[in-house]
Amino acid sequence: MDELDLTIRRATYRRFVELGRAPTVEDVAAPLGVEANVVGAAWRRLHDAHALVLDDAGEIRMANPFAARPTDFRVDARGSSWFANCAWDAFGIGAALHADSAFDTHCPDCGETLHVRVRDGKPDDASLIFHVLVPAAQWWNDIGFT
Amino acid sequence: MLLFRSEAHVDRWLAGRDKGAVVPITKLAELADAWWSDRLSPHWQPHTREQNQAILEGLGLTGRFWRLG
Repeated sequence: MDELDLTIRRATYRRFVELGRAPTVEDVAAPLGVEANVVGAAWRRLHDAHALVLDDAGEIRMANPFAARPTDFRVDARGSSWFANCAWDAFGIGAALHADSAFDTHCPDCGETLHVRVRDGKPDDASLIFHVLVPAAQWWNDIGFT
Repeated sequence: MLLFRSEAHVDRWLAGRDKGAVVPITKLAELADAWWSDRLSPHWQPHTREQNQAILEGLGLTGRFWRLG
């Protein structure tokens, strides 16, 4: 991964945090003073390197742990909120921001709302269980399903 | 990669399908910190497969299920 791609990746994540949503190529290109197609090409290389995930239109789908699309993991931290891709990523947003965080999700079995508050990296309800369905070797076969 | 009320809820939800791995939420929090805490660092570099495998192993997530591709 070369310096240009690292710079565009860094700007992409920074804009995702600032905006509370996935940035467009223009959102990233303007502050860097580069053309939108430069960002688009870098995103494609970063996608191929599993550094972010694009959708079929070439827009950001995931900048893990941040999700572009609404999910059942809306994470509050630092007075803002972002969607996470899964339970692992829901914890990951607080970890990436180095901030306490909170999110609600639902038990897929019974539908009960699960309230998760994370302070100093520790969840306040230690009774919940995380289930990983797909073996690690297959996570990137279909990252959306994983 | 979902959260459940308890392991009994996981089993009921699977309804006979193959079970993956179940991890206490406290360990998930440790895993997320180790995996994601550098993600916004200006000095971030891609993790190698070996680095990520070491994170998993350091938390006791070992065995065939946790072997990265």
